[in-house]
Amino acid sequence: MRSNPTISRLARSNLPRCGSSISRRSPKISRRFASTSIACLLTLALHGILTPILYSQEPQVPVVDDVKPVPLLTGGAGFITTFDGGQPHLGPIVTPVVLLPLGQRWLFEARGDFEADLVQVPGERGFHGMVVKGLDYAQLDFIANQYMTVSVGRFLTPFNIYNERLYPVWIRNLQTDPLILPIGIGPSNASDGAMVRGGFQANSTFDINYAFYFSSLVTTTAVDSNRFAGGRAGIFVPKTRLEFGASFQHSLQDVRSNSFGFHAIWEPFTLPLEMRAEYASSIQGSGYWAEAAYRLNQVPVFRQQMRHAQVVARMQQAFAATIPANSLFDQNMKLFEAGVNYYFIDGLKATSSYGRQFSASGNSNLWTVGLTYRFLFPLGNAWRN
Amino acid sequence: MRRNAILFCVLVLLINPAIATIAQEQARSANATEPPASSLSHGSDGASANATAAAPSASGEKEKAAMESSLRIEGEKRFRTNCSRCHMAPHKFPPRVMATAVRHMRVRATLTDEDMRFILYYLTR
Repeated sequence: MRSNPTISRLARSNLPRCGSSISRRSPKISRRFASTSIACLLTLALHGILTPILYSQEPQVPVVDDVKPVPLLTGGAGFITTFDGGQPHLGPIVTPVVLLPLGQRWLFEARGDFEADLVQVPGERGFHGMVVKGLDYAQLDFIANQYMTVSVGRFLTPFNIYNERLYPVWIRNLQTDPLILPIGIGPSNASDGAMVRGGFQANSTFDINYAFYFSSLVTTTAVDSNRFAGGRAGIFVPKTRLEFGASFQHSLQDVRSNSFGFHAIWEPFTLPLEMRAEYASSIQGSGYWAEAAYRLNQVPVFRQQMRHAQVVARMQQAFAATIPANSLFDQNMKLFEAGVNYYFIDGLKATSSYGRQFSASGNSNLWTVGLTYRFLFPLGNAWRN
Repeated sequence: MRRNAILFCVLVLLINPAIATIAQEQARSANATEPPASSLSHGSDGASANATAAAPSASGEKEKAAMESSLRIEGEKRFRTNCSRCHMAPHKFPPRVMATAVRHMRVRATLTDEDMRFILYYLTR
């Protein structure tokens, strides 16, 4: 093949200059080329992995978009009496939740918290105490697509699972908070900022759920929060009802420390058994709890009554931080609790438990007995679509 | 070149879920707009037309009932799998109430879109 004489001449005339330049730059160019090529290959590989995951959803899902949601007032109420080291505490609590759906993709949700700890004051009759008011969350959710929901406002910090899923009095099996609950959730259990979250079917075996958030520093009492960023990711295996996951949080104020946690839930289909556990660690201390609850469906006597009853046991341990000034706990503690719940109807539950706390400063008993209720009222015509 | 490569990567990652979403929305709308087999026979008038339509209509009704039943069973299964992990099955509420509650739980409990649809179907039908 004959070469073009003009090009050959130009090439020859430029050869020494260009040659030196190429020889100097070629390692850089080849490195850059290699890195971009690797990036492209990785992206294509990710694309190849994601595509079957995203398309693996069954197309045969029911069409339910014709049902228009109605605003709701729901929530929980309870009256819990606690005997902590022999000292009685009366704890009325109401946590109303307002749900306001907007169109097909938006939801405003808010939960208030009205709670009192009434105690006997020496020299006075009756029980006295203040009602504590708080705003647990007030968030606007936008369901962007089937993989992602964006939330802004004040939201429950998604660190481990207890704070978000098991906190309401009508859901929790034991009425006392886990010792490690304050780890990783900020003051008043909530964050002010933005969050991205979602759940999707990864394949036929398991689902993936995630939540990533950023919170800003707010010092106003009712809506206070810390400045931090973090996330939680979990895997749920529907066939065995096994879920496990991990949480991470990085503080962006004061001492820039990290917190992390792990959670696991297992509820086998073959037994009316719930097993849950959490571990959390931070600069404030660390600890774990593990809980098992068993519905007495399978007890062969008094079947009618037994199927409404549940026995619960929880073991937990908390370790104080190495720097006492930072520590959530004065000292290391162990707490064992066992209880019985009786579900009258859906949402109405009688609860009782006994616990024994062990610590270096002395051991004490912790009794609770109470009644919890879940209410739900539509704020509009629920029948007319 | 690097900028182009980055742009390419971002585009690939953005377009992928978008295509998946659109494809599934189309599948869903196709399911929704597809007239049930039974409704085709309702428009015919005359004895002969009724006679010929009677057999497909009955089989169509049966198919529809079987499909609804299977969707409800799947919905109940998904309710047990997801919702029953934290609380008991609620009493029956009007569909509009359940639609709000399920949307709330979709966000709170990170239900998948598919689970949410099956559960809402089970709770409202």
